[in-house]
Amino acid sequence: MMNLLVNEDISKVGLSDRVDAKLKRLQEEKHFADMRDAYRVGIALAIASGIRPPEIMPPKVNRYNISQIDEDKSIETAISLLMDTEGVPPYRWAERLAEWGVEKLSQESEKGQIDFLKLLAKAKENAKDI
Amino acid sequence: MKLKRLSMHNFMPYKGDAVLEFPQDESRNTLIVFGDNMRGKTSLLNAIRWTFYEYAYGRHLRQIPLHLLPNREAVNEGARVMETRIEFEANGSQYDLRRVATMKNLVAKPERPEDIQVDTYMQKDGAAIPGNEIDAEINQFAPEQVSRFFLFDGELLQEYEELLIEGSEQGKEIKKEIEKVLGVPALTNGRDHIKTILKQAQKQQSIDAGKIKGLEGAAERHQQWVAKRESFENDLVKLQSLLDNARNSRLTLDDELEKVEKIYSQKSKLDSSRSRGKEIEEEIKQKTSLRQQLVGQTWRDLLEPRLILKRESLLQEQQRFNDLNKERNRIQLRIEQTMQYLANLICPTCSQSLEASKREAKEMELEQLKFQLHGLGADDSRLTDIALQIRALNKVIGHGVGDRLSDVDKDLARFEFDLSKIENQIEELQEEIKEFDTDAIMKMRSRRDGVLKDEARLNADVDDRKSKIDDADKEIRILSQRMQPDESYRGARGTQMADMCEKLYASFSLSIERLREALRQSVETQASKAFKAMSTQTAYQGLRINDNYGLTILDQNGSEVLLRSAGAEQIVALSLIAGLSHAGRPAGPVVMDTPFGRLDTKHRKNILGYLPNSASQLILFVHDGEIRGSDDLNVLAHRIGGQYEIKEISPTHSVLVQR
Repeated sequence: MMNLLVNEDISKVGLSDRVDAKLKRLQEEKHFADMRDAYRVGIALAIASGIRPPEIMPPKVNRYNISQIDEDKSIETAISLLMDTEGVPPYRWAERLAEWGVEKLSQESEKGQIDFLKLLAKAKENAKDI
Repeated sequence: MKLKRLSMHNFMPYKGDAVLEFPQDESRNTLIVFGDNMRGKTSLLNAIRWTFYEYAYGRHLRQIPLHLLPNREAVNEGARVMETRIEFEANGSQYDLRRVATMKNLVAKPERPEDIQVDTYMQKDGAAIPGNEIDAEINQFAPEQVSRFFLFDGELLQEYEELLIEGSEQGKEIKKEIEKVLGVPALTNGRDHIKTILKQAQKQQSIDAGKIKGLEGAAERHQQWVAKRESFENDLVKLQSLLDNARNSRLTLDDELEKVEKIYSQKSKLDSSRSRGKEIEEEIKQKTSLRQQLVGQTWRDLLEPRLILKRESLLQEQQRFNDLNKERNRIQLRIEQTMQYLANLICPTCSQSLEASKREAKEMELEQLKFQLHGLGADDSRLTDIALQIRALNKVIGHGVGDRLSDVDKDLARFEFDLSKIENQIEELQEEIKEFDTDAIMKMRSRRDGVLKDEARLNADVDDRKSKIDDADKEIRILSQRMQPDESYRGARGTQMADMCEKLYASFSLSIERLREALRQSVETQASKAFKAMSTQTAYQGLRINDNYGLTILDQNGSEVLLRSAGAEQIVALSLIAGLSHAGRPAGPVVMDTPFGRLDTKHRKNILGYLPNSASQLILFVHDGEIRGSDDLNVLAHRIGGQYEIKEISPTHSVLVQR
């Protein structure tokens, strides 16, 4: 039953309660115009960092329909092509990545303004090593 | 005359004691006191003025009220005495002149001149001089009338330039001052006294004539004109006093408005800074919003490096597959050709029939080719998969916003910097103008316009009364001449007295004119000499003095030079000062406050080379901008007998430090 659940992909993605609060704060503090942007950047940051994300610790909040965050399926493509998800469907994997990425963005925001140019430079560097 | 020492106690910014020692060596007769603006250079000049003449000047040569002279800080701390003292040598005697200002009993803080008592003490060779003789003693070697030419304020240079402007109000004032010097007070005062006696004699003349038969009518008219003239003269005195008051009020308001003009300009700067600040804030808002949009898209940029690497690897794999396919096609073709060859036993290339041994070899070759083809394998589905993956990757790659984000971040950093600069500016400007009320400024402007109108009206009234007095003089003279044939009239005491006074008056006036002309020539000669020494233009012949005592430059052909630079104006003005300072007294010390404001290096060098030779002592109060570095000082080096610097302890406390 468990395996079945894991192997089936999801139609809504979200975050743990704890990280969801951080996502909200990222928008409130005007680091992002929209929480979806922060969510997507979180996923991309985790992919760029070559993270193998653990499962999300419940309780979890479902926040978006898949179509709301990945309209053209770019995220799905990226996950499928760049990551070994160990059989976990792409969007399940995506929300784990988002959990890690949003947490990371929240840490960055504590320093003041998030230095996205630095994050981009780091992503370039990491790509060679992954 | 030679100055030895100036001592001050609580005088203007010099709180406590301050001493200036003047150079005594004739070959090193120059003293330089350096000081920034507002530190107390002019106060040193004022200390000398106050000691000699008991007055100090503020701007536009207006006297500073006595109660404003004591050091404010010292007064606040309870000091009750201000004192200045000059020790000097003149006509072979040693002088010690002290002026002491003491706050009167029961006055806690002086708020008007009457709150202070001034006492003057003078010793000549150790013996005290009575108070009523002190001024006369001073006037022997430093006449007050000429003082402005040897106690010289750089601010006045511009006033001398006004002498060349016909009808200039300031020019008229300075002309009066110069005439005071050139006219020689003994003669002008004598002429004025005779005028007074003449008027009394003319009154007596009327009375006497009234008693002579047949002259009653003329005598009455004579008397009426004498009375009219007296009334015009009284009017003139009142009007002149009103005019002086109006002029002083206007100058005070001008000063205030000048300050306010700065406030106005600061206010407009503030407004423009505020508006620029708002613009920048708007730009920041827009850029921040753009940044947020771009930030929302950075997820693609974050993925891009890995996606590109992935695409490269897929493209390589695709290339390998393509190469493999090509190889497979090549082998396939060869198999087909070999099989066709074996089937026909004819060489497909040259169409010759094959021998049995060659057939065997071909069969072997065919087997090998088949084996090779088998070894290469075939995975068309993978190739399709790779193509699909590359297509999918291409869709994700290529929407990067990193460069734009970098530009926006740079813009934002610049705007933030500009904004903080502007905010600082706004804060400073607000601080500067916070105590000013624009309504009050408007009122002050309108008050000044009103006073200016009054001044113009009073000027016209003064001219009118002067002309009426002249008319009355003429009438009195005509009436007197009409009565002259009468022997009794001629013999009357009043007539004889009036005749004598008229003659004396004419004689004094002529003497004054002659002396004035002679002195004018002397000033022209002295000023020309000074000008030629100070000017960098060697071809100029010299200067010509005009009726207004203005000086014009004469070129090599003796023609007047009409256009003069600001520097040349200053040289001409300094030349006039040099000429005037020698006209009314023997060469003595010259004290100059901020005299080199607008001069270029070469003119400054010439002046600095000339001045020490033209005075017994040269005392210069300058700021760093006037005498620059070693270059200027080198010219003077061999003449410098002392250097001081004014250091600021607080805005109301300066000290003199020897350099």
